[in-house]
Amino acid sequence: MFIRGVKLKQLILSNKLSAAGFFIVAVFVLLALVEAASSGHITPYNPYKPNLEQVNSAPSLNHFFGTDFEGRDIFSRVIAALPIDVGIPLAVVSLSACIGILAGVMAGYFGGWLEEVIMRFTDLFLAFPALIMVLAVAATLGPSLINAILAIVFTWWPPYVRLVRGSVLEVGTEDFIAVSKTLNSSFFYILRKGIVPNVLPSVLVYATMDVGTALLNLSTLGYLGIGIPPNTPELGGMAAAISSNLYTHPLEALLPAFVLFLIIAGFSFLGEGLRETLDVKVRPHILVRNKVFGETKKVDDSDDHTSKA
Amino acid sequence: MLRRAVGSFLVLLGVVLIIFLISHALNPDPAHLWAGPKAKPSTVEAVALRYHLNDPLPVQLYFFLVNLFTGRLGTDPLTGQSIASEIMFYVPNTLELVLAALVIIVAAGIGLGYVSAMNFSGPRDSAIRVVYLLAWATPTFLGSIVAVLVFATYIPIFPSGGMYSSGLTPPPRITGVFILDSLLGLRVQDFLSGLYHLILPAATLAFLNFGLIARIARSSILDVRWATHVKSALAKGLTQKELRRRHILRNGLIDVNTLSAVMFGWLLSGTVVVEQVFAWPGIGQFAYNAIAADDYPVLIPVVIVFTVGVIVANFLADVVYSVLDPRIALGESK
Repeated sequence: MFIRGVKLKQLILSNKLSAAGFFIVAVFVLLALVEAASSGHITPYNPYKPNLEQVNSAPSLNHFFGTDFEGRDIFSRVIAALPIDVGIPLAVVSLSACIGILAGVMAGYFGGWLEEVIMRFTDLFLAFPALIMVLAVAATLGPSLINAILAIVFTWWPPYVRLVRGSVLEVGTEDFIAVSKTLNSSFFYILRKGIVPNVLPSVLVYATMDVGTALLNLSTLGYLGIGIPPNTPELGGMAAAISSNLYTHPLEALLPAFVLFLIIAGFSFLGEGLRETLDVKVRPHILVRNKVFGETKKVDDSDDHTSKA
Repeated sequence: MLRRAVGSFLVLLGVVLIIFLISHALNPDPAHLWAGPKAKPSTVEAVALRYHLNDPLPVQLYFFLVNLFTGRLGTDPLTGQSIASEIMFYVPNTLELVLAALVIIVAAGIGLGYVSAMNFSGPRDSAIRVVYLLAWATPTFLGSIVAVLVFATYIPIFPSGGMYSSGLTPPPRITGVFILDSLLGLRVQDFLSGLYHLILPAATLAFLNFGLIARIARSSILDVRWATHVKSALAKGLTQKELRRRHILRNGLIDVNTLSAVMFGWLLSGTVVVEQVFAWPGIGQFAYNAIAADDYPVLIPVVIVFTVGVIVANFLADVVYSVLDPRIALGESK
């Protein structure tokens, strides 16, 4: 696979940050996949089964992370939580990126009233404070994993629309698009050959960093006990479950939370490294409402960015 | 400026409409949801009547908007107090925490971003970037728990929670913000106690979130550091100090300002967890309790309050933006 003419392998490994991030992400994604595919047979203990004879035991060779207040093996529960904690953020980000590419391309390419409608709608959703809205929507929809995904996507898609539309506006003024249009190429041909390859790098970079942020939100849902079905192993929820034991057995909360931190850091490192290598600008204005209703279309003049090296 | 204000108001209207649809139409049986899963049929009926949930949607919307804009929010079914006065009590507490954190974030973010950019790809740059990436990757609850454990339990130099020492009687309410009121009331002891309780939660919130600002400050300073207008300013004989102040730092501030509005929204949300861990009586805890109890009569105005906070922050950022960047006139430009 090639992105901007660079082999994917080279792209990831040429930068220390992205190489470190990729390694962490790969380990956890692999573990999550194996755990999901084997339907939970790789955990050393049954992650759901209480064992009241071994409550709150410290980490040992038998129980790597110790056991929790019901005697369940924390290491097994962490492994069992991985498919959810890796899968849901990936699903959220993919869904948001799809919405963003679809709506952003339509807005940027066709312009006119369609763009006006799409962008005003996006502005509305950007005004919601993410976590509060996610909590409220998740509570309204009721606890289930699908609903948790929907609740997060609800506030997650707007930056993608802005990002894609911005890059489409930039690419749209290029000569090769104009040439393609005069040659009477179909819209889908221009989209596939001209626009998507130019939009993809920035979406890819933003999305990679965003998986970590989506996981932050998901784990907060779990920590606060809203939207995630009870008894589902989820790293944030595991950190909250022992809160009454926090002062006597802090490791029971800190170990799952630390695994969570590792996963998030992995995605941030990977994204930040990719951003550097691909030299993509991820600008703050995709996170902000546009100059409301008096928008002046400003295409980023991409000055020579190479001069800084 | 007027145009921008009107625009912000239209956004607010749209947002209120979306919140109305979520709370009244997303669920097929809102009355049952509002009354709670274990409510008796008679209770459900009463709730439906009280909040007009059986009427057609447009009628519901009418009552919803009228009550909202006249401030008649009713009483909190959980506590029996007026919802409006509860919100007025909790909002200043959260503002105190969030604004304190925001000040630290902006100062630390610009400072570290500047040092990072001026030492581009040197060891200091790498160290700062790794620190802010790690800080950004820390879940709020992990950071707060560690802060409480380390700085309030193992090394007990800070209180583990609350807004002021329990022995104190709060100063007369003027603004509602504790440390401001104690200053205005000239009560030194209250002020010091409030400040002492504020440091740990505000610093925690700031540490977890300064990464975004530092990253943007770094990249926007990098953008101008080698720009032609900076080179020509250097060529015409500007001192390094002047150059940094007038051309480099100022340019770095523009994006930071825009992003501070986003940051404010993030922090408002982020306080839900921080307030819980630090037992801070703010709107985030209030919102969480309402959400956990399916207390929709409280939840709806609280979500709207949060959204208003974000919209106002964006508006203010726009105003400051036009001061920092004279090329941008507010809406009047063509």
